[in-house]
Amino acid sequence: MNALEVRNLSKSFGNIKAVSNASFAVPEHSIFGLIGRNGAGKTTTIRMMMNIYLPDSGEVVFQGVKVGQDFNSRVGYLPEERGLYKKMKVLETLLFFAELKGKSGKAVERKALEYLERFQLSDRKLSKIEDLSKGNQQKVQFITTILHDPDFIILDEPFSGLDPVNTNLLKEIILELKEKGKVIILSTHLMDFAEKMCDHIAMIDKGKVILNGALDEIKSKYSQKNVSLSYQGDISFLKTNPIIEKIMDFGNVTGIRVKEPQHTKELLRLLVENDITVKRFDANEISLNEIFLELAGNDGSVDRKKEVYNV
Amino acid sequence: MFNQRMNTILKRELREKLFSRAFIIMTLLIPIFMFGILALQTFLMTVGSDDNTKIRIVTTSNIMTEKLSEGLSSLAFVKNGHYSFEYKTMDSTAFEKYIKEVKGDLIGDKITGILFLPENVLKNKKIQYYSKSPNNVNLSSKLKDPINKALVDIYFKNKDFSKKDVEFASLGVDFNGFRVSKDNTIEHEGSGNLVLSFLFSFLLYFSLLMTGQIMMRSVVQEKNNRIVEVLLSSVNSRELMTGKIFGTSITGLVQMAIWLSPVMVLISTSWFLLPEDLILKLSMSQLLYFLLNYLVGLITFMGLFAAMGAIFDNEQDAQSGMWPLMMLIMIPFFIAISLVNNPGSSLAKFSSIIPFSSIMVMPARMTLTEVPLWQIILSFGINILTMILVFMLAAKIYRVGILMSGKKPKWSEVVQWVRYKY
Repeated sequence: MNALEVRNLSKSFGNIKAVSNASFAVPEHSIFGLIGRNGAGKTTTIRMMMNIYLPDSGEVVFQGVKVGQDFNSRVGYLPEERGLYKKMKVLETLLFFAELKGKSGKAVERKALEYLERFQLSDRKLSKIEDLSKGNQQKVQFITTILHDPDFIILDEPFSGLDPVNTNLLKEIILELKEKGKVIILSTHLMDFAEKMCDHIAMIDKGKVILNGALDEIKSKYSQKNVSLSYQGDISFLKTNPIIEKIMDFGNVTGIRVKEPQHTKELLRLLVENDITVKRFDANEISLNEIFLELAGNDGSVDRKKEVYNV
Repeated sequence: MFNQRMNTILKRELREKLFSRAFIIMTLLIPIFMFGILALQTFLMTVGSDDNTKIRIVTTSNIMTEKLSEGLSSLAFVKNGHYSFEYKTMDSTAFEKYIKEVKGDLIGDKITGILFLPENVLKNKKIQYYSKSPNNVNLSSKLKDPINKALVDIYFKNKDFSKKDVEFASLGVDFNGFRVSKDNTIEHEGSGNLVLSFLFSFLLYFSLLMTGQIMMRSVVQEKNNRIVEVLLSSVNSRELMTGKIFGTSITGLVQMAIWLSPVMVLISTSWFLLPEDLILKLSMSQLLYFLLNYLVGLITFMGLFAAMGAIFDNEQDAQSGMWPLMMLIMIPFFIAISLVNNPGSSLAKFSSIIPFSSIMVMPARMTLTEVPLWQIILSFGINILTMILVFMLAAKIYRVGILMSGKKPKWSEVVQWVRYKY
């Protein structure tokens, strides 16, 4: 069952096509990752989902109905570029944003205090925002996103600028929200995070959705021809071998793609014959990062070739 | 049009602005500043400038000296010691020598000036004033009438005229203004309304500029610290802009009402007695019209300032891009001020009806002259229409502008924004 469907969204600014014909579906009770490099069109897509931008064509459908202001008050949105009123006090800020979503009164205030407690900010509730540290401001911003108990939570690059402790706290809360049956849409360019947290993803590059679906399905589909290798020695002889399609160096691990699934055995044999010390040989394993680079990496292809030669 | 979200925005604007220190200080400071300027001017005119003025009056006959000293010594500013006179009698040739002798005293400020009444003063009333600074308006306006009176007295002394005739001849002309209006009777009018028209123009000018700047800064700041995107996930840009404009306009209206409350008290009660010359000819409904007109003007200009703020993403750029709006406020202000010269001119009529300028010129014109009702209604209608058009245009620019950042946009780009489908 899909909670939200994005159908053929397009948006141009002047001559620049920011998003073209993007379609994907966000299932109920999932953490959905919208991934892509900076400037790929993630934020523009989210803005269209939030009704901030009007799409040139296409629509966003929520439970069978085109999204509108009604949808907005059921969403908690944490934009990539955060901001709060500097002169307002912490509690006042929280209540203001909740009121904008139509929630006011004692119950919201109680909840606000609960969250402040949880984020260890209860002693700062009467401080002005400008007197808080940057990390604490981010926490306040996050609370404003979820205080009104939204069904949908859209987080645009939520981990940027957070220290490890708060990153963990945030992850914890995101998973907790998922448990509660909320739908979380997470946009990020950090593939590792997306891989660890998301059930479903849509990959955006240059305004187009180039991949979308359940993460495990995607991975198994892409992994059949992939080998993840840790080794010692010189593998440059592989470059000319006809069974090899591509070699990608990721630092500790080298990703090798063969032309057909049955070639993986042949690859292992070649490595042993050529006296390479194999520390790890993982067939059918591919990281999201590898998939991303394979699908969207054509811009940086020159750089990557260089890396391969350096092996 | 109004909804709960807009209300929340409006409430926050009001809370932030009405209780801000800047607002309270400005609201109190402006009246103090204005009265201060008035008081200072009066003070400088009465006391400071001609305190300790020493004039030597030289005539060619004893009778004239006698008459002058008689007339001048009874004047208030002589009695309280601000002016002191010394008299001398000599003929023109002696005076020529004398003036060379006392040159040093004049330059050394021992004497302020020497007034010489030559022999034929009784024929042409031409007198001479010798001083380091001979163009002294204050002095001539003070001494003109008493000297004239003395001359007239002497001239008619040995002729067969009654005292009454002589008194009449020594009178100057007193110019009195009467306000003729359609419904009221003809009434004597002092300079109270003149002051009032200045007051209205000045307050409007000042308030529009100040509130406009506050509005623009607030939009630039929201854009600058990125809060606008958070807001837009809850409200749409039109709700946000409308909430902000109304919040700011209400603040401006409250401020104006506070500033005008003394006028309101003056015209509706008899607690204070103004000198007859300063009595205000203003009805309560005119004052209410003024406030209503001001509100319409505020909303119109706030729309323009909001759009202007949305175009730029830092305050320096915004300040430098603001000049077209400044012109739109300053030119009508100067027209309104110059209205005093002739409130019935066609410039006055024209500029009190066309958009933007009528907001400032019409109140000034109404205090100075009778304006036909149809013109008031027409100008008000035009203002409402302008307000709606400005709102629609501003909403488009605002919607695109608040999410733009980085490069300072060209004006041609802004024109394109209006055509964007957002």
